[in-house]
Amino acid sequence: MTTQITDVLIIGSGHSGGMAAKTLTEKGIRCLMLNAGPIVDVTRQAQKKSPSELPFRGFKPPGKLEHVFQANEFNTNVWVDETEVPYTFNPANPYNWVRVRLFGGRSLFWSRQSFRLSDYEFKGKSHDGFGEDWPIDHAELSPFYSRVEEIFQVAGALDGPPQMPNGNFVLDDTPWSESMQRFIAAAKPMGVPVCKQRRANGRDGLASSVNLLLPDAERTGNLTSIQNAVVREITVDKNTGQPNGCRFIDRQSHREISVKARVVILAAGTLESTRLLLNSGLANSSGVVGHYLADQIYGAGLVCSVPEARGGNGRKNLMGGGAIIPRFRNISSKSDKFLRGYALNVTSATGPMGASNFAEYGEGLDRKMDEYAGSGFHMSIMGEVLARYENHVRINKQKTDAWGIPVLHVETRYSVNEFNMAADAVDAMSEVVHNAGFEVLAQNKIPNPPGYSIHEVGTCRMGEDPKKSVLNRWSQSHDHKNLWVVDGAGFTSTGWQNPTMTILALSMRASERLADEMKKGSV
Amino acid sequence: MERREFLRAMAVLAATPKWLLAQQNTNAAPALPAPVPWTLGLNPRTPLPHTMIADTAGETIASFFSRVQFGTLSRLADAMLPRTADHPGALEAKTPQFIDFLIGKSPAVRGSLYIKGLNWLDAHARQDYKKPFAQIKTAQVDALVKPWLRTWMTDHPPTQTHADFINIAHADIRTATVNSQVWFDTLDPGRQEGTTQLYWSPIEPDIYAERPTSVHTRPTQNITPPPASHERRSYPK
Repeated sequence: MTTQITDVLIIGSGHSGGMAAKTLTEKGIRCLMLNAGPIVDVTRQAQKKSPSELPFRGFKPPGKLEHVFQANEFNTNVWVDETEVPYTFNPANPYNWVRVRLFGGRSLFWSRQSFRLSDYEFKGKSHDGFGEDWPIDHAELSPFYSRVEEIFQVAGALDGPPQMPNGNFVLDDTPWSESMQRFIAAAKPMGVPVCKQRRANGRDGLASSVNLLLPDAERTGNLTSIQNAVVREITVDKNTGQPNGCRFIDRQSHREISVKARVVILAAGTLESTRLLLNSGLANSSGVVGHYLADQIYGAGLVCSVPEARGGNGRKNLMGGGAIIPRFRNISSKSDKFLRGYALNVTSATGPMGASNFAEYGEGLDRKMDEYAGSGFHMSIMGEVLARYENHVRINKQKTDAWGIPVLHVETRYSVNEFNMAADAVDAMSEVVHNAGFEVLAQNKIPNPPGYSIHEVGTCRMGEDPKKSVLNRWSQSHDHKNLWVVDGAGFTSTGWQNPTMTILALSMRASERLADEMKKGSV
Repeated sequence: MERREFLRAMAVLAATPKWLLAQQNTNAAPALPAPVPWTLGLNPRTPLPHTMIADTAGETIASFFSRVQFGTLSRLADAMLPRTADHPGALEAKTPQFIDFLIGKSPAVRGSLYIKGLNWLDAHARQDYKKPFAQIKTAQVDALVKPWLRTWMTDHPPTQTHADFINIAHADIRTATVNSQVWFDTLDPGRQEGTTQLYWSPIEPDIYAERPTSVHTRPTQNITPPPASHERRSYPK
């Protein structure tokens, strides 16, 4: 009996794996997709409940998911259990690794903010001297961004400055509310641009691999998928030294199975793809695999109130709407406190305000919350974390997960650069809202722990020099021509932008290149 | 085996009563009266029983806090979220009992925060008012507690001693009460609908997941900016 050999093995079913599957199968290439978790069926596995019906009244079950700040009792079961797939770190430098292993991965739950990187990110070193430039620029990736934006139905306005390139948008021409207009007017003299939000509409309220990408791949008849396949390692042909498939473990029965493929694509998410490479001992002639872990700082920001909207006066024209402030530091001037920059999400809210915005309790708090309901105005940071060699992951051989696979040790922390950036964001926004006449109720200058943004990238960075990078400009391993990494691991720097559009564009571009190479017989 | 021993063994076997041999097969399943799967007949038309939330019918047995600590917590909860004309209070929601259960199940650092905080409040009350905290008047509670209230953003409660406990306890008391069944029952149907969210059941759980070898350590959060410098070379030398 001969082992079946598929054309391309895709490990991971989120945005990057879904895009690879769609692109390759539509070009007639047979793909086998493995996903570590099960397929989710919302009709069977989810139902509407009141928090009073739950055992912990909506609190996150104690001791569970300590590093998933986003978790609560309603969604506890969608995240990867930290006891099932643990990771380690120095307790002084905690890391929040937020994971989903359901089919479709984190594409099921992302915020849908959709931005392109600009050449301030692609060519960051050329601009400020730090780190490395990407081997590609915005012009090269732009056609792929446009096609991704079409698939994901990204809504936005063509109002971006050079540091936030415009795209192929479903045009948002809704008027600004009065509170937003006041904010924009107050920000302008400070050189702070305020633009319309950019968000993927997707289809039927979902913008995921499972509804926008994988169905197209399925229709070709060229995609086969296996759920609950926990990959232990990428296997190697003894004669050629090149990857030739993988060994995986059935999540439920723990049976070990091997599959063969001509090409292996890693799309398991930045750190899981990196863990696989490290556990397999592949693609690391540079010694760079696992290094340059970076993400974005979240958590710093302000909560304000628009005075005129209090007392139930927050009418529609006054309140409502969201905006994005793209990076404005270190563009045309240079900060002496930090490199690169941050963006801010801005929201003019119409709902009730949280109790922690008031130093009150009891009936005094009730009165405050009644008075302030519908007057909230929020700003929250998304700041670039510098890609540093010393921030890295490695295999902890002393500890394994539930399937006996060695786990990751994460060693990373934010530097003065990130802390100064967060403080600057709060100070700058305090000045804007003061000028706008808003009342600041609460503020925070301390970022959440690294990893919180769920935007971890960079541990298999791309670059022109094989001695200083893992992947080439096509997301292909420098060491193995039939090994590609199409998720966020390939980023050379993070930028302030949500990385999803860039991951999708890079995956599409890499997959088209791979298809061409396979047709030419060079892979 | 010698032939002589074999013959002796066969002779013993032949003389053994059948009932004694049968005892060696005690694990055999008893014969079913009929080949009927026990789930046969369960279908979407099968009536479901009415149920109620457990602690609306019974009393949670508080066991984590001491009697004095529980009294302090109850007084604090009543002051922070009293019954009004518009909503029930924390005591009606049995919030102190729920928090005793919740904190008892929580990581030790959370329990320690509560115990130290409750002990501090009680000691403060005895010092200032010569009474346990559980017996002081609302104005006296306010005088002890309100100076420690702060405003704060999600995931970033105050870190100052006493302010940390007061603000975290307030948030917990409020959440536990607002999410209780007695609170839910006072809402009109529209607002009741507004409190519901999509609850995800365990999705094909892995029965092997709970392994003693897969226990994660729980670090403390480091919020002090480290002295790292971005001038340092950031790639391999």
